[in-house]
Amino acid sequence: MTDSAYAECPLPLDNSIPDDGAASLDSIVCTDELHKRPSREPEHQKENAALAALVVALADSPSTILQTLADKVLDVLSADSAGLSLLTKDGKRFYWAAIAGAWGPHIGGGTPRNFGPCGDVLDRNIPMLFTHWEWRYPYLGAALPLAEEGLLVPFHVNGRAVGTIWAIAHNVERKFDAEDLRLLQSMGRFASVAYQTVESIEELKLEVAAREKAEASLRELAGSLEQQVLARTEQLRFSESRWKRIFDNSAIGIAAVDRNGRFEMANSAFQRMIGFTEEELKEKSYIDITAPDFRAFNVSLMAELLEGKRDQFNIEKQCRRKDGRLIWVRNNVSLLPGADGVPHNAMSIVEDISERKAAEESLQQTQARLSHAAEIATAAELSASIAHELNQPLSGIITNASTCLRMLDADPPNTDGARETALRTIRDGNRASEVIARLRALFSKKNVKSECVDLNEAVREVIALSSSRLRKDQVALQVSFANDLPYINGNRVQLQQVILNLLQNASDAMSAVNDRRRRLVIRTERHEHDGVRLSVQDVGVGFDPDVANRLFETFFTTKNGGMGVGLSVSRSIIEDHGGRLWAAPNKGPGATFGFCIPQQTADITFESMRPLELSSVATAL
Amino acid sequence: MAHSLVSVIDDDVSVRESLPDLLRMLGYDAEAFASADEFLASGSVGQTDCLLLDIAMPGMSGPDLQSELTLKGQDIPIIYITGCGDTTTRVRMLKNGAAECLYKPFSDGALVKALNSVFGKRNNS
Repeated sequence: MTDSAYAECPLPLDNSIPDDGAASLDSIVCTDELHKRPSREPEHQKENAALAALVVALADSPSTILQTLADKVLDVLSADSAGLSLLTKDGKRFYWAAIAGAWGPHIGGGTPRNFGPCGDVLDRNIPMLFTHWEWRYPYLGAALPLAEEGLLVPFHVNGRAVGTIWAIAHNVERKFDAEDLRLLQSMGRFASVAYQTVESIEELKLEVAAREKAEASLRELAGSLEQQVLARTEQLRFSESRWKRIFDNSAIGIAAVDRNGRFEMANSAFQRMIGFTEEELKEKSYIDITAPDFRAFNVSLMAELLEGKRDQFNIEKQCRRKDGRLIWVRNNVSLLPGADGVPHNAMSIVEDISERKAAEESLQQTQARLSHAAEIATAAELSASIAHELNQPLSGIITNASTCLRMLDADPPNTDGARETALRTIRDGNRASEVIARLRALFSKKNVKSECVDLNEAVREVIALSSSRLRKDQVALQVSFANDLPYINGNRVQLQQVILNLLQNASDAMSAVNDRRRRLVIRTERHEHDGVRLSVQDVGVGFDPDVANRLFETFFTTKNGGMGVGLSVSRSIIEDHGGRLWAAPNKGPGATFGFCIPQQTADITFESMRPLELSSVATAL
Repeated sequence: MAHSLVSVIDDDVSVRESLPDLLRMLGYDAEAFASADEFLASGSVGQTDCLLLDIAMPGMSGPDLQSELTLKGQDIPIIYITGCGDTTTRVRMLKNGAAECLYKPFSDGALVKALNSVFGKRNNS
């Protein structure tokens, strides 16, 4: 029979006597017999040894103390089975917590609280001796071998009976006596201690289990963290190796510099590009290899990067190779965050754009040549037109004069004819002068359109036209537009020519500036009540106050290769608009040029003849 | 004595007014027309011994008239007079059969020289 059979036993719910005429409690209890039977001699040595072993067991292996106790009871009492029954927490059953001897296999089984020997013992709270308890409690008939006698002693914890400790004799010859009772009671006291120990162990176990569970989840967390760290490390390693591969094999130059601009590393593409080895580069700063014209601008950009004013910057500049050759490069420079989050390095992606630049320059030269050729063609066309217009009357004049002379030289002189041809000569002279007048007319108002001009818009268009040149000249353009600017009457194209001229002058004035940012500020403002004002401020070389009054004279120039017509033409345009062109030195470096134009009610007439209009005249003729 | 007839065709009035008088002083008969069409419409085409012809004119140009005359079998020697030509113009005109090409304004000497080349005279002043 297995212990599972007990669990399947139908368990009575109360202590009522079954109807099938089962034995009464008294019929199975023979406690009184204990004292009637002759008591055997105490075996104190054996008892002491058992108790000593229990104490040691309690200290060494408290979790198995109940089983040890059962073993010792079996041993000390020379019983056939021995064990402990504990009341379950809900108080409904006893379960056999530890069994030694013949009933060993039944461990884990048990009896109902209110219908079994343990219950009887606890109810009466006294030791009891049973015989053949299966007569009253039939389910115990299944627990083999059958109990000839069973001696049970209650034990208590904090005054509360919590279980029994018991010994069973399956042999009819073995009869328990008073000495057995004394020994079991003695062991019973120990059972109380053992129980409490086990209980606290169970609690501890629960606690430990909970802690272990917590620890396990912690371990799991730690494990997953570790896994993440591993994965991240792997990623890093991968990205590092990937970075390394990119770094080494990239066709694009990659270099890193420290905060002082000194090279820390450079890939082979960069080394090839610049001609220096990485070792040589480590002795240099990026400034050393940058062509002088670009240094100041580059340094200011780098400073802004390191100050956190920008995340990255692009610069197209010339670099001096080791062999002295200049190359054009395009740099994209950004910060490399360090381990502490503070950037210590700037990384530069470097592209050799020399070929592109050469192509661009040749294109620009071609364009310049074309535009020059177009100017010449326009001028030629114009001069041909003017020549044709003038040659007709001139031809008449010369022919008439020749005829006149011949008539006077004739014999006799034809004075009437000579007078006639002289009059025709005068008429042709007047015709020539009319042609000039007609040309003047073409150069002026007929061809000049006056319209409503939005100065801001006009400036924007000029900026759009000159942005590539300003970029090339490394000019940092700053724009400040008044948003309440009135429209003015004027010729937009002419005004744009003036603005373009001022911008180019400002840019040219800064071409030699390398120790500061080439800042150009273009500003529009309201002038007086309803006029407009434009100023262009540079940080360039400025002008000598001694020549200030000559700045706007035709053919006066301070520029190499300048024609000296820009400002004089500009002035005449602005004056035609009723305005004034002015120049003023800055408090700091550079100068400010500008104009103001008042609002005009009447349409403007443009009287002066100026070369800027050649092309329009040519097409008109 | 019958003089050679030189016809002047030019849209510019100064030329039409001045050239005929000079031509007469040089011993030629002279007529002036404001356009090629006017000349073709006149009865002078068959009588004309030499043309002083402007190149660029409204309507039919000088070279157009030259082609027209060639088609009609009227082989009249032509001296072009132009106010806006360049050196290549003269070369082109001479190549196309013109006797001469004068740039306005031209001197009476240049005109005399050109006419002499047409009429085979020397030092006719």
